[in-house]
Amino acid sequence: MKKNVIKILTLLMLFGFSSLYASGSAADTSSHEVSTKKVETYQTQSFGEMIEGFINSTGIKAFVSPNPDELSSHGEKMSDFHKSWGRIIMILIAFLLFYLAIAKGFEPLLLLPIGFGGLLANIPVAGIAGPDGFLGIMYEMGLANQFFPILIFMGVGAMTDFGPLLSNPKTALLGGAAQFGIFGTLVGAVALAQYTPLFDFTLQQASAISIIGGADGPTSIFIATKLAPELLGAIAVASYSYMAMVPIIQPPIMKALTTDAERRIKMSTMRHVSRLEKLVFPIMVLVLAILVLPDATPLIGAFMFGNFLKESGVVDRLSDTMQNALINIVTIFLGLAVGSKLAADQFLVADTLAILALGVVAFSAGTAAGVIMAKIMNLFPGNKINPLIGSAGVSAVPMAARVSNKVGMEYDRSNMLLMHAMGPNVAGVIGSAVAAGILISLFS
Amino acid sequence: METNLVVEGVKFMGLGMGAVFLFLAVMIFLMSIMSRVVHKFFPEVQPSASSSSSSAQNNQKKVVAAITAAIKFHREG
Repeated sequence: MKKNVIKILTLLMLFGFSSLYASGSAADTSSHEVSTKKVETYQTQSFGEMIEGFINSTGIKAFVSPNPDELSSHGEKMSDFHKSWGRIIMILIAFLLFYLAIAKGFEPLLLLPIGFGGLLANIPVAGIAGPDGFLGIMYEMGLANQFFPILIFMGVGAMTDFGPLLSNPKTALLGGAAQFGIFGTLVGAVALAQYTPLFDFTLQQASAISIIGGADGPTSIFIATKLAPELLGAIAVASYSYMAMVPIIQPPIMKALTTDAERRIKMSTMRHVSRLEKLVFPIMVLVLAILVLPDATPLIGAFMFGNFLKESGVVDRLSDTMQNALINIVTIFLGLAVGSKLAADQFLVADTLAILALGVVAFSAGTAAGVIMAKIMNLFPGNKINPLIGSAGVSAVPMAARVSNKVGMEYDRSNMLLMHAMGPNVAGVIGSAVAAGILISLFS
Repeated sequence: METNLVVEGVKFMGLGMGAVFLFLAVMIFLMSIMSRVVHKFFPEVQPSASSSSSSAQNNQKKVVAAITAAIKFHREG
């Protein structure tokens, strides 16, 4: 029995090798014809050719000696580095994102789909992120036209409670001040482009980068796809990784800018907010946006739609779907589609480093501006504000508010700042949507 | 003529921060007006407190009436 198997195997091998040699010369001359006719009919191949073809189609071959004619997902030429080492580095970066998401708990809901999308996008030959691959299709379906971020905004709206903001309206100014993170970074990015030869950002690109300072993932993606789609991968990764790092980035800045006495300020208890107020608020803000800044209404409209359904109290089924099923499905699509932009030829460029650096500057500037604004407001008569809630003006709901609460508790165990910090936090979401609308209006 | 990007950036910043603050300031203004109007003209009826207490009073009256009737019935019978 065993002998028979071995015999058959050797026969097969012999057959294979002999036909390899026999067809060697013929294959060279006919390869051009085969490639043009391949589409129409299946050409019979000798077994040797099949083996050769298989070896040429393996991933190992594609990594070691990439096909010089292979084009990127944009149909542009790629350098050999991006096709071989670049892809390996990107796959390792995807593994790093997995590690951060699973072991460190950094925004796993987004970093896992983005990381896996990045892994899939860097597979050679298969072209998953190309126009016909499923990641490419997802990108075209919902990201290139800014559809997914809008849907996410709807879900976030349905999860948001404007009660804390309504009970202490003036804290909305803190959410405005934190948008300095966006515009301050914009100036920084164009200064880099102007005065260093290394980077060459256009105003559009600088604006798309600076929106990271809004600390709002969907808004960043919305703006990036609109103004600088080539930077989307880096911007989304920077935005979500820094949002995950809010508890690390913010506290040192908050502590550096406040005195011990300020950190212990207790804020007056919140008044009760009636249901009608909560119901009128989303419509009121939307009408204001319609009158002042129609360019921001896609974001604010979707946000307020979600919130209005929730506060109406009569369509719990719909608001429940938005908060859970819909936002979960869209998150999967959005993450994978963003991951498709982590292809080596787009991510492994000097610009990415600048984006990562500018992103952390943007976050810090926003945090600092919020805290300083709270201190300025305390110079005026009226109820005192604990400056620690100023940092919650960067959107990052509800992470930034939790950080304010935690830092406050470090100095006074009985000082609960969470609900007070939610006011500037949700105002920050509105503020960054307004900032996004302004940037769009400036370029239209 | 080459445009100075930094100057453009600063212009963006001025307009952007101005518009964000303007928007939020108007929003705060409208919010406080809206709250005042709502509290003045549509004060929230405390459904749990007022309606249940009145129904509880009604219930008690009924119970008292029932007990008196029962006692009366018992004495007479």
